[in-house]
Amino acid sequence: MDIGQLVGDIRIPRLELFLPELIVLITAFMLFTLDLVLSTRLKRVVLPSLSAIGYVLALMSVGITIQFQGNTFYGTFTNDYLGILVKVFVLIITLTVLAFSYKYYEAKNSFYGEFYYMLAFTLLGAMILASSYNLIIIYVSLELVSIGFYILTALLRGSFISKEGAFKYLILGGLSIALASYGAVFMYIYSGSIDLRGILSYSGQDYHYLILGLVLFLIGFAIKIGAVPFHFWLPDAYQGAPTPVTALMASVGKLVFFIPVVRIMPLIQDKFSVAWMLTVGVIAAATMLYGNLVALVQRDIKRLLAYSSIAHSGYILAAVAVTKEIGLKAVIYFLLVYTVMAAGSFFVVAMLERAEGWNNEIREFSGLRFSLPYLAFSFLVYMFALLGVPPTVGFVGKALVFMALSFDGLWWLAFIMILSTAISTGYYVRLIVLMYMKDREKNVTIMGKSYAELVSLVFLTLLTVALAVVPGVIWQLLSPAASMLFVR
Amino acid sequence: MEIVRTDFPFVSLSIAIPALFSLLLVFVNERFIKPLSLIGSGITFLLSLCVIYLFDYSRGAAVQFYEEYVILQELNIKLSLGLDGLSLLMYLLTTLVSLVAIVWSVRDKQINFRLREYFFAFLMTESFLIGVFASFDLIVFYVFYELTLIPMLFAIGVWGYKLRLYSAYKFFIYIFVSSLFLLLGIVSVAVVHYTDKGSFSFSYFDLLKNSYPMGFEIFLFLLFFIAFAVKTPLVPFHTWLPDAHGEAPTAGSVVLAAVLLKMGTYALLRFNIGLFPEASIKLMPLMVAIGIVTIIYASWMTIVQNNIKRFVAYSSVSHMGFVVTAMFLLNYEGLRASVIEMFAHGMTSASLFMVAGFIYGRLHTFNMENLRGSVKFMPVFALIVATTSFAAMGLPGGSSFWGKFLTMLAAREYSYSLALLVLVGGFFSAAYVLFMLKTLFLDVREESILIHFTDIRGFKLASFVMLVLPMLLVGFFPHLFFNMFEGSINFVLKNLLGLE
Repeated sequence: MDIGQLVGDIRIPRLELFLPELIVLITAFMLFTLDLVLSTRLKRVVLPSLSAIGYVLALMSVGITIQFQGNTFYGTFTNDYLGILVKVFVLIITLTVLAFSYKYYEAKNSFYGEFYYMLAFTLLGAMILASSYNLIIIYVSLELVSIGFYILTALLRGSFISKEGAFKYLILGGLSIALASYGAVFMYIYSGSIDLRGILSYSGQDYHYLILGLVLFLIGFAIKIGAVPFHFWLPDAYQGAPTPVTALMASVGKLVFFIPVVRIMPLIQDKFSVAWMLTVGVIAAATMLYGNLVALVQRDIKRLLAYSSIAHSGYILAAVAVTKEIGLKAVIYFLLVYTVMAAGSFFVVAMLERAEGWNNEIREFSGLRFSLPYLAFSFLVYMFALLGVPPTVGFVGKALVFMALSFDGLWWLAFIMILSTAISTGYYVRLIVLMYMKDREKNVTIMGKSYAELVSLVFLTLLTVALAVVPGVIWQLLSPAASMLFVR
Repeated sequence: MEIVRTDFPFVSLSIAIPALFSLLLVFVNERFIKPLSLIGSGITFLLSLCVIYLFDYSRGAAVQFYEEYVILQELNIKLSLGLDGLSLLMYLLTTLVSLVAIVWSVRDKQINFRLREYFFAFLMTESFLIGVFASFDLIVFYVFYELTLIPMLFAIGVWGYKLRLYSAYKFFIYIFVSSLFLLLGIVSVAVVHYTDKGSFSFSYFDLLKNSYPMGFEIFLFLLFFIAFAVKTPLVPFHTWLPDAHGEAPTAGSVVLAAVLLKMGTYALLRFNIGLFPEASIKLMPLMVAIGIVTIIYASWMTIVQNNIKRFVAYSSVSHMGFVVTAMFLLNYEGLRASVIEMFAHGMTSASLFMVAGFIYGRLHTFNMENLRGSVKFMPVFALIVATTSFAAMGLPGGSSFWGKFLTMLAAREYSYSLALLVLVGGFFSAAYVLFMLKTLFLDVREESILIHFTDIRGFKLASFVMLVLPMLLVGFFPHLFFNMFEGSINFVLKNLLGLE
């Protein structure tokens, strides 16, 4: 082969599409290097600040990439509205995780340089996962996110439950990756393509391979998002992980693990609409009911929120079952706003864990309003949001899911959603009642609040209400994102 | 439906003023809380009087003082606020009862802690309630409808009596869960509009034009009905109410009974009958039956109560039975009866709950028998109780007379037996009221502990007077009120008969 021909084939990647990822990548490597060379005292200052600067720059560069949309790296990386929207939320949440983890680790008397670069690599994986149709890229970025989570979960080396959680997560995560990649192989056999769009628009003879491939691939993702009956790792991992990491897993993790499913949702529905509606609907129903029922009997707040997270996977899956465009919009909206609610509620727990004698038990919330009025108020907002009471984002999310279900006439699923929301009222309202209507059992004081934490908490709380009161802001990006995916 | 836009935002102002005052309460010194709350709800009440004065009664069913602000262009969700005759009356009721509740709370001895939050909750409730009655966008309506739950949850849970946590829970769960059906119904109606017309709309005026296949219309009707039946409440969805009322602080019960229950009946008329006329006609026998059962069952339950709060609570359920029965007779008299009864019951139930609160303040018990013979020592109080009770019973000159009289007239249009059933209901309601009066005042005790008690006066007397006057006004000059909603009712009837 002629050299010139070979060189001619190499197209220069459009790096402007990849700018935010590039910045995070560079940040990650800088953090990694600095962690090796700096002294511990310097690290404590440099690593968090450098991460923050990197993420803010990346966030700003997302704005630039809006004008350059399209594919690059030979079609393996796609920058579109959906990707941009996801990246904005992922970056914001990661920044807040940074804000909360500093004091958290300080209170636990530990500092890990690994935390910062693993966080950066996880973020990188999440961002790439959010913008690809390519099976290989999805696989690699999925691994990157997952490995990041395994390590971050196990980071509290002295804690037994941290290690246990990470271990369970690792085993089931490994299984999920294995299943997904096995599924990918079948899809490749069917179509000869590794691009999901190519695979699903290909009309080959041997449908069995496609179905088998898709089922395995989706089971892989079902494990990741904690859909029943693949959810067993989730409560343990959430409980064991350092709480800011739990927040990351519940918000960013859930968001990006759903994105490949969202991307191929319209394409699959084109082929198997009835089977899809039924299968996903049943899984959604089981997930909602199971998550809420088990959450009802939890005594540990982190486990309660973990089960509520499972239930929310169910609500989102209910909209995934819908074959109309509104379903796609509902999924994307609910996913995005869920990151805010979930992260916020776990952050409150992260702050509370710094209080003396705090064991994460639910009854410790009694009279929290008297000890920590502002923290209790923001937790109240998150609880109402998770429950779906207006004027919070949770309400808009649920309304959109109802609307989507009504479009497809999935009444049975809507009624199950009402039933499971009814169950969830029990534990969300219980927390509110404990905080605001019971006398306090003990005085809870949090030592050493930082401004970064306060600003983040206020910001997330406001966002929980603002995105519902002024829904136009998010809708203007959401609408084209959904329409672009939903081309029929 | 005609829409008259306004130059001056009366409605949004009357939603904003209580809300702004409640936010103000967060920042002010403790001693300004009560005066500021009084001023806030006072201004809102005056504003509502202005609106009543400026309202053009000759325009029939027109929605006046209409304002519109876009919330979400893509789904066509608008903050559309306005008042027609029906909502005007409810709006007046809200501002009046909220003011009364706040005037009462100023001197309520039970309310001696967390004052800031207490008055915050009540002002917020007022603002949300006005929002409920003035919204002509179904999503906005739903949002306000749900929002009223939150301050009430706190009012019951924080300042309530012994079983307050249980009752607060029960109240919230019942109403929140039932209203999820409403949410599903609302989005489904909008989806039907979308599939027919190709664009989203949650506007009441647009959705009025929808038409549905019969079976589906009944399904939608029931989705709406579940929510409103729980809110109203109708037997067998009523079990949250005696608990919530029994445990709520006095002002909480007042607002709950006088206004919050009206949200259910108002919405039944506005949405169920308005949006699904054919299903309403089809389901009429069922609805009337539920209404009659509610009247009779709740009256029986009332008679056996010793606790005066639960007594008034059950009697409220029974009155709501009258409202729903009258409403679903679907004729002119029936609709008139239901609306005037809503207003009348607002006055009487509020007043009776304050009676309960007054008794508790003196005796620290809700047991009626403990007050025996008090007429001797508290004549003014006894007079107020008697007036209120007679008005509630349906004696001519009292507010409930017109409701009950017209209900019977409306029932007579269908059959004598139906009218007879309503009559029996009326008989029961007279029975329990007389029973209460006898227990409270006429059974004379030998050595009364009441001898040292002073009669009612000051703020508490004022709050009673503010309710008794309109009660008599409705009784003696009903046309003033009938004129308000005449046009709206004609519109509903035309819609039902398919004339439009």
